[in-house]
Amino acid sequence: MTNAIVLSDLHKSFGSKQAVRGLELTVPRGALYGVIGPNGAGKSTSLRMILSILFPDRGRIEVLGEDSALKAKDRIGYLPEERGVYRKMAVAEFLHHMGILKGIARDQVKRRAQDWLERVGLPEVGKKKCEELSKGMQQKIQFIAAVIHDPELLILDEPFSGLDPVNMRLLRDLIMAQHQRGATVLFSTHVMHQAEQLCDHIVMLHDGRKVLDDPLTKIRERNAPRAFRLEALDPAVDTMAALSGLPCVGHLAREDGVCRIDLVDDVALDVAAQAIAARVAPSRLELIRPSLEDVFVDIVSQEPMQEQAA
Amino acid sequence: MKKILQIARREFAATVMTKGFLIGLLIMPLMIGVMAVAMPLLLNFKSPPIKGEIAVIDPTGEVVERLRLQLAPEAFASRRQAMDERLNAAMPGAAQKLAQGSAAQAQIQESLRQVLGEVPDISLSRLSSADGLDAAKERLLRAKSDPGALLAVIVLEPDAVRAGASGAELGGYALYVREKLDDRLIGEVRDAMKTAVVDARLAVRQLDAAEIRAVTKLAYVRPQVVTRDGDLSNGDIAGKLLPMAFMVLIMIAVMTAGQQLMTSTIEEKSSRVVEVLLAAVSPIELMAGKILGQMGVGLLMLLVYGGLLILAMFSFSVMGLIDPWMLFYLFIYFVIAFTTLAALMAAIGAAVNELREAQALLTPVILVAVLPSMLWMPISNDPDSLFATVLSLVPPISPFVMMLRLASSTPPPMWQILLSIALGIAGMLAAVWFAGKVFRIGLLMHGKPPNLATLIRWVRMA
Repeated sequence: MTNAIVLSDLHKSFGSKQAVRGLELTVPRGALYGVIGPNGAGKSTSLRMILSILFPDRGRIEVLGEDSALKAKDRIGYLPEERGVYRKMAVAEFLHHMGILKGIARDQVKRRAQDWLERVGLPEVGKKKCEELSKGMQQKIQFIAAVIHDPELLILDEPFSGLDPVNMRLLRDLIMAQHQRGATVLFSTHVMHQAEQLCDHIVMLHDGRKVLDDPLTKIRERNAPRAFRLEALDPAVDTMAALSGLPCVGHLAREDGVCRIDLVDDVALDVAAQAIAARVAPSRLELIRPSLEDVFVDIVSQEPMQEQAA
Repeated sequence: MKKILQIARREFAATVMTKGFLIGLLIMPLMIGVMAVAMPLLLNFKSPPIKGEIAVIDPTGEVVERLRLQLAPEAFASRRQAMDERLNAAMPGAAQKLAQGSAAQAQIQESLRQVLGEVPDISLSRLSSADGLDAAKERLLRAKSDPGALLAVIVLEPDAVRAGASGAELGGYALYVREKLDDRLIGEVRDAMKTAVVDARLAVRQLDAAEIRAVTKLAYVRPQVVTRDGDLSNGDIAGKLLPMAFMVLIMIAVMTAGQQLMTSTIEEKSSRVVEVLLAAVSPIELMAGKILGQMGVGLLMLLVYGGLLILAMFSFSVMGLIDPWMLFYLFIYFVIAFTTLAALMAAIGAAVNELREAQALLTPVILVAVLPSMLWMPISNDPDSLFATVLSLVPPISPFVMMLRLASSTPPPMWQILLSIALGIAGMLAAVWFAGKVFRIGLLMHGKPPNLATLIRWVRMA
């Protein structure tokens, strides 16, 4: 199986600002990758370079086996962060226009557009003007425009921004359907728990650099939980006092009225759980899993030290 | 190519299929049509024959009977005939050709009659000297609503015909008219008085007025330019208007379609649809498609307006004024002028965020398109001057100026035409190259509107 995207040593500056610095990335075909990072990390710039909307100052890009996305445009679907529609155009006409620009034959494009409208629950809107639709409906239309030609590679830039929870779920299902169809999906977000819910592989960008590129499972493994949250059965018990001195406990803290117990390094979780429960009868004792956000903050806060060391 | 055509199709349809554009396109021919049909009708209704009395106080005693002759219906008719002939003589060759058909001749007479109104029916009364004037003025005041009432009072000076005792210059006359008297009648009364007084003056000197008129009459002459192709008449109005018409035709088409291109680019950029498009087509394809689509719009306008012009000329059988090659050059120069200016307009549209910001960058482009119309007179007066020749070779004004020269009575030599086309195409390619770079960078840039220096930096960057 070849790779869908290969980026090597990609650089891009805007004036004095270095937006992307030496990005290396390989996305295998059929994968579902999430690119995360705070605003201004270089996510959109990277995606635009992959699509040949922007061109890198330096570095090499390979997309779907071609040395430029320009040669594979009809096989790529793209939903930009700043997305719009022709306000005065009828919805169906807009989809036909985009479909034809994506290489669908004129005689097929009508049927496909209608199929898609039905699929997202908007079978009636074909004749309406785009400006008559609500924002959520417009976003569905934009998503259809990105996938109407069944692309091999689907690139979504902040697809969930501005969506309500119902439409967010719908969009998540549609993206998963594309993934299951076999399309390679690459999407960016600055809301990290969305990536956690959807992706099987995470790439994290910070300040134009890649700081993480691992499968979600591996990230979870490496950042295995080393802390418990404890609520005592009897509210009168002073948990902090009861637990202090326990050998497996490294650090104790009170968070939102609940006790957080950070473990010492080389203790097994089951041993620690039994030891804690033996001292304080718990109404709740749960493992604290680090979120991607924690991982990210962790990495970013370590980075300056690494740079100084180097 | 398929994608470029699809973009062109959308661009064309989105522009043409709007109420505003269709109304704008049709309103001019419609107005001309309405004028052609309605004007004669309106004029017909508006000219009831003038009927009434003119009072004369004539202390000389020589003028009043001669004036009576001049105000007779036959005299009106023959004066109008003479005016007709004067107009004919001064009329340009084209219009003369047009008037030669007998049907057309009759039509012109008819319209002249309509403009002047029916021959007035005027009776002349003689008042005894000055004491009658005040009473007559009183009658003029009352005459407004009374048909057949007093229209005017003419008071001749005593020395209007024979020099008085002081002996210097001859006198004239005073003309009192009632309120709201038809201007055309005043003119005719003035003409009649002139003839009557001059005739009287000649008569008292025992000169034959008819003979003197015959002796002083000389036909209006138009110059004939001697060329290898034979003698051509020059300096007629149509010869000047036709080139102007062709230039204006190109200008309207280029400016309208160019503006539309800029507006639609700004709209695509500000509605953020552009990035969706750029994922499907390259910026150059997008620009090419848009230029092509708007070129279609421009051609449609050329076809409608130019077609009407040709139709009008055809129906007056003066098609001979247009060389079929002219239409070919019209097309070629339209394509060159349009592509050059449209590319620049597209670049401006891509560079700014909203229409308001475009004005500063647009000024030089509009100047280029408007300059030739300001230079119309010097160029069409002397289409072969060094000034005109140089301007007709320098893009991007060359297409406009060359059209002026081509349609003039002394067309430029072939090598200049070919050179201007070659330079025009070179300029066009340069404009497209420049615009392509600005377009690519500008489309994704939001924020502070760029100035010219920024645009040049973008071109270097791209």
